[in-house]
Amino acid sequence: MTTSPFQVTSRLVKDVAIVYPRGYLNNLSGEGLVNECGKHARAGMKKIVVNFRETDLINSIGISFLLNIMEDLQTAGGTLCFTEMKKVHLDTFEMLGLTKYFLFFPDEQATLQALRTQGG
Amino acid sequence: MPLTGVPAKDYLNRDNEISYLRRLADMRQDGLAVNVLLLGTRGVGKTELLKQVFRDVFWEGREVVPFYYSFKTAALKSSTFARDYFTRFFKQYAAYVKKEPLLVDDAGMSLNRLMPVLSSAGLDWMLDIADAFQEHAVSGDLYGQILAAISAPAAAAKRGGRRILVMLDDFAASEDLHEVRRGDAPGLASLFEESMKNSLCPHIITGSPAARLEGIFSDPSLRKDIERMQLLPLPEDTSFSFFDSLLRKMHITCEMREALGLIRTVRGNPLYLKNMAKAAWKTMKKELREKDLAECYCLDVLDGETAFYWSSVLSEQIRTKGLLRTMLKLLMRRLTKAGTDDEARLSQVLGIRDAELGQAMEILDGNGLGSHADPVFEDFVRALYMREIEGRSAGEIRELIGERFGVQRDSSRFEMVIPMTDQAELVAARAVEQIGKNINLEPDLLNYIQLALVETCINAIEHSGSYEKKIYLTFLSTPEQLEITIESPGRPFSLDTLRESAVEEKLASGRKRGWGFTLIRKIMDEVRVERVHDRTRVTLVKKIRNKEALK
Repeated sequence: MTTSPFQVTSRLVKDVAIVYPRGYLNNLSGEGLVNECGKHARAGMKKIVVNFRETDLINSIGISFLLNIMEDLQTAGGTLCFTEMKKVHLDTFEMLGLTKYFLFFPDEQATLQALRTQGG
Repeated sequence: MPLTGVPAKDYLNRDNEISYLRRLADMRQDGLAVNVLLLGTRGVGKTELLKQVFRDVFWEGREVVPFYYSFKTAALKSSTFARDYFTRFFKQYAAYVKKEPLLVDDAGMSLNRLMPVLSSAGLDWMLDIADAFQEHAVSGDLYGQILAAISAPAAAAKRGGRRILVMLDDFAASEDLHEVRRGDAPGLASLFEESMKNSLCPHIITGSPAARLEGIFSDPSLRKDIERMQLLPLPEDTSFSFFDSLLRKMHITCEMREALGLIRTVRGNPLYLKNMAKAAWKTMKKELREKDLAECYCLDVLDGETAFYWSSVLSEQIRTKGLLRTMLKLLMRRLTKAGTDDEARLSQVLGIRDAELGQAMEILDGNGLGSHADPVFEDFVRALYMREIEGRSAGEIRELIGERFGVQRDSSRFEMVIPMTDQAELVAARAVEQIGKNINLEPDLLNYIQLALVETCINAIEHSGSYEKKIYLTFLSTPEQLEITIESPGRPFSLDTLRESAVEEKLASGRKRGWGFTLIRKIMDEVRVERVHDRTRVTLVKKIRNKEALK
């Protein structure tokens, strides 16, 4: 595990915002991720994908931030998807009994395909 | 013999428990505490804790009279028990008032001879209580007699103005109270209900096995107003300090690194440590090395105090040699074969008749002996099995037990201190990554261990509230397991205070927090939290199974 300083970037693919958290997702960086997702939600984006390709570690506080993002988006009638999660992160969600509350996809293409099928 | 405990300076790492129990009478009277059920494995020091509390309360002069009664040595025929309980209470009360410790254990002091002593101490009102007891005895009213004995502390508290701290040791044996023969009057222990309800005489109750004790307190009459206090084994450094203090009294020296193997094998059990120190003394050596301690261990498990202790526990339940052999076969089967065989299969495999097997299983499981995770007890069973069933010689057995003792010694230990600052937990995570690589752990497994460690450090940072702002870590790796201890000064923390709430409940809450320890417990094989002096110590253990180490 190598942990880089946290950064978050994003890009838009039509009506989908893809967010890239990089580094260690914890109490400090969680706020950054919430802000980035909130920015897209406020701009009217209903579909947000978080790509964890460059996320090294997610601690339990980071998970609570992800739950808050999901709750905010669901309240606004949106959808939150996770993609390219490492095995340890997926297992963490599994261990906590949280997998049924999120949509997981192996890669961006599969995520975008699923969101297109979903329509809206 | 409540005043014969080890010196307070040698009784380590139980300050919090002693302090709480000493104040129990005050807190009970103020409605802040209830009776205490003191739980812990055999040999962990429950009796010793009661002795320490007794001594402190006896001498501190807060107008609280300590009363200690052990059911282990008690005669359990009801009439005899009633007189014994009553007399011992009176002796200890008089000893407290007169500050004459010798009275506590004065076996020659009968109830009649005690009367002038009580009178001379200005305790004439106690004579009335004694008269009421004697009346029941004379009229042959057995229940009246038992009740009068059991309620003597409450009556004395009311009449004498001093509260009584009642300490009942080996209480599991109270199940065997009987009128004429064992089993003819079940449930007599429930007669303690009234006495336990009285806020002027709080009770501390202990004994082994915990399951049997819990069984007694599942009775509706007793289960109210009782809280559980769990006595944990001593941590490694405290275990060594205790062991070292015993050795020094015998002018024997031993370095901690030499004793570490023994300390880990006995898992912080003070009884075993005491027995091993005695075994060391018998070797006549002045300086102990690891191999000497291995020798002490083998001797003790085969023929020493530990062997004697476990033999006594077994012989309390087993009356015939045939049943002992059945029991040993059954225990060895459980030690060597993981998983549970059904009774029919066991009977077939072990060649034992169903009835005898059923009897052995009932005794083992009923006394908490069947599912033991105590390596010393296991070695005792192995040694006894080799002698009784396989007919091996003592020398052979010592060699075989000695080989097992040596297996766990191949270990590496690292220590580090990290500040309680943002992301310091990542430094600890990097350290465990390298330690894991050194022992060829699979990367996936390492990721999980790192996560558990990160969570524990975050918990320490968030909850310690200490000015010291440091976390102390030790990493101990052996071919069998990786053990990490994380110590933080400041506020105490206990797993008992954690409430496992449902996922839905957490999701509905505002902060959606509280996943850390759920995660840690899912990842690690063992999670222990203990208070060591002014620090909270969390110990994380991960067993390394074959497929988890890279070839």
